[in-house]
Amino acid sequence: MKPIVVGSLESSDCLITLTPSKTTTITIESIVYDAFGDAIEQVIKQTLKHHGLHDVHVYVQDKGALDYAIEARLTSAIKRYRSEADES
Amino acid sequence: MSRSYLFIPGDVPRMLQNLDVFDADSIIIDFEDSVAIDQKDEARLLTQAFLSKHHFKELDLYIRVNDVSQKTLFEADMQAIKALNIHGIVLPKVTLEALDSVDAFFDRENITFPIIGIIETPLAVLEAQTIAKHKRIQGLLLGAEDLTKDLGTTRTLDAEEILFARSQIVFAAKAYQKEAIDTPYVFVRDEAGLAVDAQRAARLGFTAKASIHPNHVETIHHYFSPSKEAIHEAKRIVAQSKKLNSMRFSLDGSMVDKPVIDRAKALLKRAEKYGVLS
Repeated sequence: MKPIVVGSLESSDCLITLTPSKTTTITIESIVYDAFGDAIEQVIKQTLKHHGLHDVHVYVQDKGALDYAIEARLTSAIKRYRSEADES
Repeated sequence: MSRSYLFIPGDVPRMLQNLDVFDADSIIIDFEDSVAIDQKDEARLLTQAFLSKHHFKELDLYIRVNDVSQKTLFEADMQAIKALNIHGIVLPKVTLEALDSVDAFFDRENITFPIIGIIETPLAVLEAQTIAKHKRIQGLLLGAEDLTKDLGTTRTLDAEEILFARSQIVFAAKAYQKEAIDTPYVFVRDEAGLAVDAQRAARLGFTAKASIHPNHVETIHHYFSPSKEAIHEAKRIVAQSKKLNSMRFSLDGSMVDKPVIDRAKALLKRAEKYGVLS
């Protein structure tokens, strides 16, 4: 299955890449990691939990996205991931 | 009623987060032309997430959905936004037939958003009067780019090619007390051209102008706000009416009656809303 890539590297946005994994793993690169890295991780974990997804690697390249944008981008990525998984 | 309607793309967080700093009276979050087909779902999710968490008291928010002939996109847009706290939707490619479809869908889904219809086909220009009369219609917005494409002509600065459409929209809207919103000026860096275009639209009777760039808002407000002279005159008319306790009198040799006094009061109300009364 191809990686699912959603979002952008513009300011206030983030680029999220989802790839299959045996367990949930999260990698975050952020221009505000020192201040908000934990908060970004929390949003990702909550969103994955909300959608019941446990077998994916989430790679986030963050350019200062707010919580709502991370959540929306990840939700979109999860939808596409599931759609791709259903097709393959 | 607004003077300016600024389009911003629904899939760009930077624009969504700044929608209250552009100084436009109304913002139209776009799900249609500025959003690529594979980004539609993201625009819906971003807008939904953003507007669920952020509220704007001083700003009128609209969403331009995809046109109703693209049923799947339109219905997905409406499902995503129907619970949001917005003022209404902007409906592209409006015609009487399209409006009937939307009306039936809104009835089924119990949706009550007012609609600003984009008049952007020759058929819509001809149907403008009946469209304006429709109960759900709040205003008509001229979409000159698509219209001139259908007419097989090109946009020019003197805008001769859209004069009929502009006049038709103004007459239709005004006949039913709806808003008449002029087409955006698409040459983003041409400030002088924008001024000419906005002034011409205001003179024709448009109540507002749409824009696709925040830099256009200030110029649009200049031409669509009541002028100092008009405000001064309106104040004199209302004051004299109160002083004489009359709806019919002479002022500087001109006859003043109820329609003139009502227009003066409406102008002062708009001036107050836009913060240009004093």
